[in-house]
Amino acid sequence: MSSTPLFKPDPRLDLVLERFIDAPRELLWTALTTPEHVRQWFTPKPWTVSDCEIDLRPGGLFRTRMQSPDGKEVNDRHCCYLDIVPNERLVWTDALLPGYRPSGDPFITAVISLQPEGKATRYTATAIHRDEATRKNHEEMGFFDGWGTVADQLAAYVKGI
Amino acid sequence: MTAATIPQTASPNIPPIDGIFRALSDPTRRRVVERLNRSPASVGELAHPFDMALPSFIEHLKVLEGCGLVRSEKAGRVRTYRLAPEPLMLAENWLAEQRALWERRLDQFDEYVLKLKEKGK
Repeated sequence: MSSTPLFKPDPRLDLVLERFIDAPRELLWTALTTPEHVRQWFTPKPWTVSDCEIDLRPGGLFRTRMQSPDGKEVNDRHCCYLDIVPNERLVWTDALLPGYRPSGDPFITAVISLQPEGKATRYTATAIHRDEATRKNHEEMGFFDGWGTVADQLAAYVKGI
Repeated sequence: MTAATIPQTASPNIPPIDGIFRALSDPTRRRVVERLNRSPASVGELAHPFDMALPSFIEHLKVLEGCGLVRSEKAGRVRTYRLAPEPLMLAENWLAEQRALWERRLDQFDEYVLKLKEKGK
């Protein structure tokens, strides 16, 4: 599916990650859109997804309840699907709650696009962030304990604008 | 370096990163930051490349200083600006952390999908 791109990444705020994986995109789609599968990969270890709900339709709920290893910290995110093209594109945001009700704490719109390459798949994950992102970021700090930082981001951040 | 140990949002006040992003949303101010990335400079040196009235330019410098991105010192009649590294680190770490999250997430996704593929055979 091709059309004029809606989105131009802002290097100060957004991430575009492209990957190639030797698996058919139908399988990626299943892993992206089925709660039992999402629970297995969505949250960086050692955090886990303790609950996941998916109502796969535009306006439907995408909920992931993530928790720290000791269970004390919890990040329960209620997102809303915006666009669903099976095996091609999945878009959700936390700027809206299910049923398109505006949320009080918008932070991200995520876009996953899948393109077949033979029996394999090239896919792109795009994270479009709101710039007043700090509060939510703070909630997610637990994920980052002990993670290294990416030093050359500074150059990209200042120069890539 | 660990990103997580920097108490970037420990303050209950308005998080400084908002002001940083706002300050950097303007092309003139970004160019000033780029310039100061090389070395400290006086107001005159900073203003030189811009076709802009000095008072307007100084307003930009005030915004940058107000959010803590730059600092200035006056020696005699010359005010010299320099980049304050800490706030840029905050901004840097913020995006770096988002990237780290997604890299990790997609690593796990790939691994899991390949596992599913193996099972399906």
